[in-house]
Amino acid sequence: MSPPNEHLAEQARVIRNLILDMIFRAKAAHLGCSLSIADILVALYFGDVLRVDPAKPNWEDRDRFILSKGHACTTLYAALGLKGFFPLQKLQEYGTEGSVIGDHNTLGSLPGIETTNGSLGHGLAIGIGMAWHLKTKGNSRVFVLVGDGECQEGSVWEGLMFAGFHKLQNLVLIIDNNGLETLGDTSKILNLEPLDKKIEDFGWTVKRIDGHSFDQLTKTFNLRPVDKPLAIIAETTKGKGISFVENGFEWHGKCPNQEEYEKAKVELEGGL
Amino acid sequence: MRFETIKTIYNHALSNPKVFFLTGDLGHAHLEDFKKNLPNQYINVGIAEQNIIGIAAGLALSGNKVFVYSIAPFITMRCYEQIKVDVCYQNVDVTVIGVGAGYAYSTCGGTHHAIEDIAVMRALPNMRIYSPSNSFEARLITEYLFTQSHPAYLRIGKGGEPAPEKEYPFEIGKGSVIKHGKDITIFSTGTILLEAVGASDILSKWGINAEVINIHTIKPIDEGLIRNRTREREAVFVLEEHNIMGGLGESIARIICESRGNRRPLFKCFGVPDQYNHRAGSQKFMRNCFGLNAESIADSIIKLLSPRA
Repeated sequence: MSPPNEHLAEQARVIRNLILDMIFRAKAAHLGCSLSIADILVALYFGDVLRVDPAKPNWEDRDRFILSKGHACTTLYAALGLKGFFPLQKLQEYGTEGSVIGDHNTLGSLPGIETTNGSLGHGLAIGIGMAWHLKTKGNSRVFVLVGDGECQEGSVWEGLMFAGFHKLQNLVLIIDNNGLETLGDTSKILNLEPLDKKIEDFGWTVKRIDGHSFDQLTKTFNLRPVDKPLAIIAETTKGKGISFVENGFEWHGKCPNQEEYEKAKVELEGGL
Repeated sequence: MRFETIKTIYNHALSNPKVFFLTGDLGHAHLEDFKKNLPNQYINVGIAEQNIIGIAAGLALSGNKVFVYSIAPFITMRCYEQIKVDVCYQNVDVTVIGVGAGYAYSTCGGTHHAIEDIAVMRALPNMRIYSPSNSFEARLITEYLFTQSHPAYLRIGKGGEPAPEKEYPFEIGKGSVIKHGKDITIFSTGTILLEAVGASDILSKWGINAEVINIHTIKPIDEGLIRNRTREREAVFVLEEHNIMGGLGESIARIICESRGNRRPLFKCFGVPDQYNHRAGSQKFMRNCFGLNAESIADSIIKLLSPRA
């Protein structure tokens, strides 16, 4: 009998390969921050968490997922493609001249994408608007994924204050806490910790988990606190899965060269 | 204007649960009905303009028609990027209502003056801009917004504006000829339109027939009418309660410059001369500081039209 979550691990391996291929082919950036959320998106889309139907991307009763840290969009593109929202071959268009699939997720570019993101600190408020709309209409939930560095934006705290005060229990905020932002350690540039205490004080239920543990991710996503929104601080490793990319802040803006690409492919296909 | 705008939205909201009204903790004494009778469609988001625009966009993406209300400079500039990305880039059904056009909040100082809002809103693709000059126009524009689903900025006064003596033909997107005249044209927008009418009255005593046109739809602007006047008039003037940088005047100037043919009318924009006013006073005082009243404008036009000018 295969271990539980083995299928999730395999999806994650495939998604990491797709991310690497897209970024290498397009000579794009954001490899590290895309890899850090790969397991989170696998748990959401393939771990019986998000209620979505690729055949009906605008189904009214679906759950909504907002990738607020839009620079990690290759992970979302790969997850949506694997889920069947569009043929995987569509990913070949990423970053090509004239393509609508660019370096940040854009509303209308691909089925399954709920919002336009890029500039940081926008996703939570939009998610609040959606959660407000849905709160009296059934069980749909809204998941918003932000980066830890993104939490330096004041707009994030306006949203945290509002959602906690209004007890938006159908709202889930996931913080990809990889500890790095563009120019270095988040803790040294503008420290956010203790994030859990701060967000709890804003009226949220907060869980701090291993952001690469499918078991912890799926169990926590399926919590449904009453009268409180749920914040999940997912402890992640930037660049997770490729040894020489892991914990390197420079991989926020760097594209692998041919040699690095080939080395990374060996690691990923080996199931690291 | 404020009353008619909110009342019109409220009347639609009574029968349409998809209509939402969001306030940034402003609108005292105007929002009681909303609060009391439509609590599911009314949200006082608090003093958090970035959040309010994002929430509005999220509601609009969910199929709702959303109005956001606050003092004009706060709701256009504190959250400018949210208006750009969340509303205009995503092209969703959100109307930003900015109360206190120009110097309406005169004594509150430059923080509350709206003399840059048209400029910044004009620069946003997909954004439409409406600038009524009285309560009658505010009501008709608000009614019109219920037939549309585009991002919009509605720039209104803060109340107490005189109502027109009688209603008149009014078409969204078209300039309204408020006063006929064959010699020159004065374009204006917002409540300061009355000063343009006053200037025209003074000019008539000097034998100058000045037409006054109300540009209540600033974007998309009535290019056809402006081109027509460019061909017909010796001189074209603009009066606006806004910085001369980026406002109605520059919008009209571009159309004149891009018009075909060699004919170019004399052109002058009367507005705020790219500076803040650091003194306290009434709206009239603020306007007078920069000559934005009927007498000064008429005087300037007479000088500009004189052969020696």
